[in-house]
Amino acid sequence: PIMRTKKWAVERTRTIQGLVDFIKKFLKLMASEQLFIYVNQSFAPSPDQEVGTLYECFGSDGKLVLHYCKTQAWG
Amino acid sequence: MTDDKDVLRDVWFGRIPTCFTLYQDEITEREAEPYYLLLPRISYLTLVTDKVKKHFQKVMRQEEVSEIWFEYEGTPLKWHYPIGLLFDLHASNTALPWSITVHFKNFPEKDLLHCHSKDVIEAHFMACIKEADALKHKSQVINEMQKKDHKQLWMGLQNDKFEQFWAINRKLMEYPPEDNGFRYIPFRIYQATTERPFIQKLFRPIASGGQLHTLGDLLKDVCPSAIIPEDAEQKTQVMIHGIEPMLETPIQWLSEHMSYPDNFLHISIIPRPTD
Repeated sequence: PIMRTKKWAVERTRTIQGLVDFIKKFLKLMASEQLFIYVNQSFAPSPDQEVGTLYECFGSDGKLVLHYCKTQAWG
Repeated sequence: MTDDKDVLRDVWFGRIPTCFTLYQDEITEREAEPYYLLLPRISYLTLVTDKVKKHFQKVMRQEEVSEIWFEYEGTPLKWHYPIGLLFDLHASNTALPWSITVHFKNFPEKDLLHCHSKDVIEAHFMACIKEADALKHKSQVINEMQKKDHKQLWMGLQNDKFEQFWAINRKLMEYPPEDNGFRYIPFRIYQATTERPFIQKLFRPIASGGQLHTLGDLLKDVCPSAIIPEDAEQKTQVMIHGIEPMLETPIQWLSEHMSYPDNFLHISIIPRPTD
């Protein structure tokens, strides 16, 4: 499923799990459906990982690019 | 003079004597005896406690048993943190054996991730390795490996096979000859006293002038409250694998020799005992 709004501003302390829950609601997915989030199309961070830390380490041009997927892609 | 490779073995084979006791409110058909086990510092709780689970399930009714979880002095223990890190952070200066309480009910959803199978541990372990390589090599080394090499890293950890693991891991510890180290060092700094789970930032092992950055340089840069620079009595200990490395140690060397199998340096800042 494709998101129309692709850019979001999120507090640093939001976790990956928090993002997953938000995206699931936004895309109207069921809670039981799986959603995977990837950084740099390389790794799937832990659900309790803070977005702020990921941004500091893997962000560029003022943003952190994440890919979401209903199936496992790069993990 | 000890070979650097001996350090790799010492890290791999580190063990913590642990006593597992069933939580008193769990309902049992018979008295539950404590279970003693030597835990590998480099592994994960849910990977090495099958025998613990079996031992306590024997005295419980089937319907009372759901997902196992562990707690130390009221703090739920995150299975996805390496065992050595959990011990250094929470119980380092206490008497051995480490006393862990076992639970089968009231899983603390807010504090712990679920671990329904070994696949979950493998996925987490591999994700950490990939994140570490993203920092060290822009993921080039891990991506060039075949799936069977990734599998060998996991099997080495799961089966406690040092040689099998390091046959592959040594590639993750290499760097191009023109560089003097990794691009950035994969590290996480934990403090039991703070709200944030850990500190992780970009940190280069080599200064622009070519000098090797040290552990002290890292701490000064990302966690200055951890060490008071002057000869004032240090109120904290900086601990990795149960020891306090000298702050002058090059961080590149620490990353190559004292990382956990997930390729991260997990560093604990704990209060120094006052006795």
